[in-house]
Amino acid sequence: MAKYVIEFAKTGTICYTSHLDLMRIFKRVFKRTATPLAYSQGFNPHPKMGFAQPLSLGYWGMEEFFECETEGEWEPDQLLQRLAEGMPEGIELKRCLPADHLTRTLAAHTVAAEYMIAVPAGAPAEENRKGGAPGDAPAPGDAAVEQDPDADLSDPRSLWHSYMDLDEILVWKRQKKKKEPKLINIRPMIREMTFQLAEDGALYVDALLDGGSDSNLSPELIISSVCRRFGIAADRSEVSVMRKKLVFDKPLEELLS
Amino acid sequence: MNIDKDLERILRRVEKPARYIGGEVNIVRKDPAEVKTRMAFAFPDTYEIGMSYLGLQILYNILNRNPDIYCERVFAPAPDMEALMRGEENAAGRAQEPARKLYTLETFTPVSEMDLLGFTLQYEMSFTNILNMLDLSGIPLRAADRMAEDPDAESWPVVIAGGPCAYNPEPLADFIDVFLIGDGEELLERICLEYAAVKESYSKASSDPAKAGLKLTFLRRIAGIDGVYVPAFYAPEYNEDGTLGQMRVTDAAAPEKVRRAVISDLENVAFPEKNLVPLIETVHDRSVVETFRGCTRGCRFCQAGMIYRPVRERKKETILDLAMTQLANTGHDELSLLSLSTSDYSRFEDMAVELMGLCRQQNVALSLPSLRLDSFSFKVLDEIQGYRKSGLTFAPEAGSQRLRDVINKNITEKDIYDATRQAIELGWEHIKLYFMIGLPTETYEDLDGIAEIAKNIVDINYQIRGRKGGRFRVTVSVSNFVPKAHTPFQWEAQDTPADFIAKHDYLAQKLRIKGVTFHYHESNTSSLEAVFARGDRRICRALEEAWRLGCRFDAWTEHFDEKKWARAFEAAGIDPDFYTIRPRSTSEVLPWDHIDPLVRRGYLEEERQRAYGGETTPDCREGCTGCGMNRFTECFRGADRSSAIFKNAAAGE
Repeated sequence: MAKYVIEFAKTGTICYTSHLDLMRIFKRVFKRTATPLAYSQGFNPHPKMGFAQPLSLGYWGMEEFFECETEGEWEPDQLLQRLAEGMPEGIELKRCLPADHLTRTLAAHTVAAEYMIAVPAGAPAEENRKGGAPGDAPAPGDAAVEQDPDADLSDPRSLWHSYMDLDEILVWKRQKKKKEPKLINIRPMIREMTFQLAEDGALYVDALLDGGSDSNLSPELIISSVCRRFGIAADRSEVSVMRKKLVFDKPLEELLS
Repeated sequence: MNIDKDLERILRRVEKPARYIGGEVNIVRKDPAEVKTRMAFAFPDTYEIGMSYLGLQILYNILNRNPDIYCERVFAPAPDMEALMRGEENAAGRAQEPARKLYTLETFTPVSEMDLLGFTLQYEMSFTNILNMLDLSGIPLRAADRMAEDPDAESWPVVIAGGPCAYNPEPLADFIDVFLIGDGEELLERICLEYAAVKESYSKASSDPAKAGLKLTFLRRIAGIDGVYVPAFYAPEYNEDGTLGQMRVTDAAAPEKVRRAVISDLENVAFPEKNLVPLIETVHDRSVVETFRGCTRGCRFCQAGMIYRPVRERKKETILDLAMTQLANTGHDELSLLSLSTSDYSRFEDMAVELMGLCRQQNVALSLPSLRLDSFSFKVLDEIQGYRKSGLTFAPEAGSQRLRDVINKNITEKDIYDATRQAIELGWEHIKLYFMIGLPTETYEDLDGIAEIAKNIVDINYQIRGRKGGRFRVTVSVSNFVPKAHTPFQWEAQDTPADFIAKHDYLAQKLRIKGVTFHYHESNTSSLEAVFARGDRRICRALEEAWRLGCRFDAWTEHFDEKKWARAFEAAGIDPDFYTIRPRSTSEVLPWDHIDPLVRRGYLEEERQRAYGGETTPDCREGCTGCGMNRFTECFRGADRSSAIFKNAAAGE
């Protein structure tokens, strides 16, 4: 038996599959390439494999991590090649590292993630700059930040100050048990953020956010609060999200040695 | 594969977007410019249902093996996707041109650009989805509108339909250019190649007027092939009382009777080894091997039992090979066998033992549907289900021996109780019973029989497990009889919805037994299904009207809209009762009489008479019962005739 960590990217149409779908896809690749996984013991055995962090449906992922325990032992490159042949289009395996020294799961070591969010903001400013209709009951994911009338979409620096200088960025969040959403402050969970304006008028938001079992911030809340703050009326379906990388509590090399 | 921004926008808003992206493992990639015929295989229900259908995998494999053909797939978009494809703004008043036309999953090509568009007709309640898919493709619904003299009109794909519902094609005749009747493996490939040939000869002809006749030339060329029905070449003429007078042949190329296509040798017909593996969860997501086609039991209500004759088997070695190759190529962890009656395979016991061994080795779950519950089956089930026993299913279909004899369902109460006893002793805690109500000659005494069987099974459990009986449950599921074309009951009247409701209520009372759950099927869908099962060409108007009123996914209880259907029939001037509750005489010309299933019509009449006399007809492995199939092909090809099932049958079991 041997443990491995595999880095991969998920891009293109396959991003419309969910985390659970991806689990099944990976599980089947092992079967299809005759690379038996080790199974947990017990009443209901399941294969020993998992992802460092689930990737939401629709997101691209550029540096995703998967860990597994195989029945046999493989040269990491050989294992990578075997599995790569069985992968559907859009899943690209990039490297495979031996991980016998990894004691806790990668998920337990994941603390943050960097996202690139593309929001179309180029349309006529006046028409675009409406906030949510007042008086509507807040829905989970709605932002409760004030719109900044001075935000200048052509000046990324001013956007940064307008957003990051806030002490509190309040967002309505679904509560686990209760029905009514609750206001939470997401500002402490934002580690870094940059704004960039592309030639096509899209606003690119690069955000390093808490992401792990202790503290986790969904980029969806960044999207709603940024749009609200700057009066961008883009529909969610026009916004693309890409996870650029995952951050562990220690460098990966250290975790694996 | 990357797609354009507009489609991205749609996919981000839709539920389960992976239904609409293709990209599965084992998807076939070809350069469309390199093939002669492009066909879209259309399943008129959602992706999850269509991808669970083995016929799709079979035909996809056969067509794509041919380098001249590219077969792609398309499914019915769910209502949320439909709204987005039509453009939200137009959701109320339907757009003339959809904002996003229906496309194939292989290449995202609009369906309207295909040479052929082939629908599979698995159940009547999917028919409105066919019209919807045509409309979402921007293709005119009516075949006549696609046949116009205008040369531009010739660019529409030839619309094909096949599958069990094609045996009574008339309710769709106005919308379909070609029906394919019977086994599709050889026929569909041939049609694709004939189309390539006609297209080639036309591309050589330079003038446009010559091109205008491409479709007609193609239809004439294939009309004489066994299994091909071109409805435009047949004109129904009606009597004053509304019954069919005759089906007049209007084109010299078309035969009087359309004979069903038959594959004689199942062993040598290609079967998929590299099945498409969906990226998302579907209804059935597992490897499947068809062990044999056809059924010898002769249940009189059963259309499949008539139209898939005769029994033709695959070799055991072939089945095992196919199973293992499929598992290796798909990574599935479940395997199932497909046929109309699993244990009727002539080498079943050997095969089951070997399969169980192979599956155990590979951590694969084996699922064997529709087993006859004898002691061997129990051994098998006990082993493959282990401590996680699913429910055990019986389908007595009728509650009394008298009625079971009428429908020729050769299962006795002793069979049921013996099997129940064994099952309970082996640890099963859930027995499922399937019945049909509204069968010909049925009385309330037969319904009492249903309750009695349920009660006796509960009592058997008490006898074995003691006074408390454990967590034991019995589920009684009742469906409503729908008379089908090409069966001995094709002339019968169906119960009225009121009759069905009264019977459901009666049974609900009778089945108030501790430990018994009662389920039944909505009566209105059963009536509608019956209209289409035996309807004539006039029904097309009602179907189109219902679609215009917004009917979709009628097989889904949450989408079925009874009131819209009532309005549609009224607008089309059609009385559904004429098709459902009216008994037909055997002298009446039936709308499907020009479709020849190769089973003699006389045989169906004889079987009907025997049904009225309560006379059973033995399994034809005991001796030929004269259905007429062997005039055209060999019965039991590939079967091991020394097998016990032939002997047992001969000894009268």
